[in-house]
Amino acid sequence: MSAKHMFLKPGFVRAPLQNGIGRYVCQLQRIVLKFCKSNGASRGMRDFIEQDLVDFAKVNPGVVVYLKPRRHRGPVVVAEYLNGDRVWMSVHNKTHAEITKWIEVLRTQQGNNASTRLRKYQYTDHPSIQGPWTPFTHKLPELNTAELPNPAFGANNRLPMSATEQLRLMFEAQKLGEKSDDLKTAE
Amino acid sequence: MALIRAGLQRLANVFSGAQAGVLSRFATHLAPIESKSVPQTTKDVIAECNNLIEKNASRNFAIVHLLGKQWRVTDGDLLVIEGFWPPTIGDKIKLDKVLLAGTKDFSLIGRPLVQPGLVEVIATVISKGLSHTRTHFKKKRRKQYMRINFQRAPQTILRINSVEIASKINEAPKNVF
Repeated sequence: MSAKHMFLKPGFVRAPLQNGIGRYVCQLQRIVLKFCKSNGASRGMRDFIEQDLVDFAKVNPGVVVYLKPRRHRGPVVVAEYLNGDRVWMSVHNKTHAEITKWIEVLRTQQGNNASTRLRKYQYTDHPSIQGPWTPFTHKLPELNTAELPNPAFGANNRLPMSATEQLRLMFEAQKLGEKSDDLKTAE
Repeated sequence: MALIRAGLQRLANVFSGAQAGVLSRFATHLAPIESKSVPQTTKDVIAECNNLIEKNASRNFAIVHLLGKQWRVTDGDLLVIEGFWPPTIGDKIKLDKVLLAGTKDFSLIGRPLVQPGLVEVIATVISKGLSHTRTHFKKKRRKQYMRINFQRAPQTILRINSVEIASKINEAPKNVF
């Protein structure tokens, strides 16, 4: 049905104006509540305006709230953000509780999140602090001057000890006869 | 003959290797605590690291465990955390589960966590919103089966304010919790 998000604009995580580095600034600047005074579809919106709107405005002094009554048209919330984004949302037939939650989402987000698909979930200016790994990190400096191929550097010492080798070691330990009891208690 | 000699040498190494032979391990375990001495190199390394911490010589980073994921963070990073998470915008948070911390010259590796209070990672919640709409579309051909679901996950954006090594290495831990 909908593959809309496949064609969404891809983007990276950003915060406008270095937000949060010094102090935090609420990104929602303006919110417009459009509703009808008589239509049933605006019922929840009218409830919200009667019960919660004054508290909302008091708690968020940085947000400008406009009310726009209009006859026989559906209820709508429009939020405008500091980065210039504008989010238009229909709240047709939504209840008071739903509208409260949606307005909370509009208040706390930093722009129009729905319009971009995030490609990375982290952003950093300093991708590596100890330096990126190369095949030569933590290698002996003699490798720089060694003539390759070199049996000392080319030896495969990464294989686990073979059974034959282990048996031979055990045999030699037995022959030596020195403190073979200690070996048993090692682990 | 040469083979046997090599084997013997390896065996000798197992018993009394320079760093951690089997016998040496026993010896240290059996030795009384008073006579245990920290080698000079260890002391030097710790002193040098403490010196670097005091000078604040380079940028720090830390690996932090947050909501089941591990993030490598440094000053000024932005993280996007998906899923329900109570903190709201403007909250300053101390991230306590530090698995590893490091500077340019040394790393402090936690087992599994770095000593509490040693590394301080402070973050601010910048934004709490919802992700873009993700479509979950399933269809089986010729089976009259099709499901389509839409979902938006809650997303929290965090700004890392500072990653600091707050106290000296090898000091007695402060009771922070």
